Amino acid sequence: MSKTDNFVFIALQVITWIIFVGLCIEAGGLITNFAFSLFKPEVIQNLYQKLDLSEMYERSKSAYFIMYGFLLVIAILKAVLFYIVIILVHKIDLSKPFNSFVSRKITLISYYTLSIGILIVIARQSAESLLQRGFETDKLDQFWGDGQAFILMAAVIYVIAVIFKKGIDIQNENDLTI
Amino acid sequence: MAIVVNLDVVMARRKISLNELSDKVGLTLSNLSILKTGKAKAIRFSTLEAICDVLECQPGDILGYVRDEH
Repeated sequence: MSKTDNFVFIALQVITWIIFVGLCIEAGGLITNFAFSLFKPEVIQNLYQKLDLSEMYERSKSAYFIMYGFLLVIAILKAVLFYIVIILVHKIDLSKPFNSFVSRKITLISYYTLSIGILIVIARQSAESLLQRGFETDKLDQFWGDGQAFILMAAVIYVIAVIFKKGIDIQNENDLTI
Repeated sequence: MAIVVNLDVVMARRKISLNELSDKVGLTLSNLSILKTGKAKAIRFSTLEAICDVLECQPGDILGYVRDEH
């Protein structure tokens, strides 16, 4: 592995850690917001992103829980996704990358990415339909991100995972050629 | 697998040990062991040639074909 590759890989590890910490903070903040919005709504203005959905709660509890459910599940899944990425970048051996562990993790990353993408698309559509019914959902836009980009990314990662599986087969065959 | 490796039979006939064969052929013991136990997926012509040369036999003495029942 060249020096540049090594440097890029270390930078990638640092960036993944930073993103993971950021996503954990976001997920933690949203969970805290949710708990406080249920049990102590008066302090919600001082909490994470000042996400106040009390108006929605008063109008429709089911809409409130569905929207918060989407927010929490997406935020947690994103954090879990980056946790898997961290495990992968820490354990991958770039001099011999073709092994079943890496293949499994890449496949898992593609499944998580696809789940997040689909959830974001559904959440966005639900928010839009709530908006048409007069609910104020524009505060939630910042939390969704781009669902289609996630789905596209999932497809690309899945293709990489399939190529990796094939690579492992070829490597095994090569190892057993005397 | 339908292809069977009879290396151990030929080795026994020639009264040659795995260590000796390994030295003469230039293969590692682990690779020879993989070949002998039938775990190998392929064999290079150069390896086959070297083994045949040392054991003074034909490739057909080392490799055989048995039809798979299933």
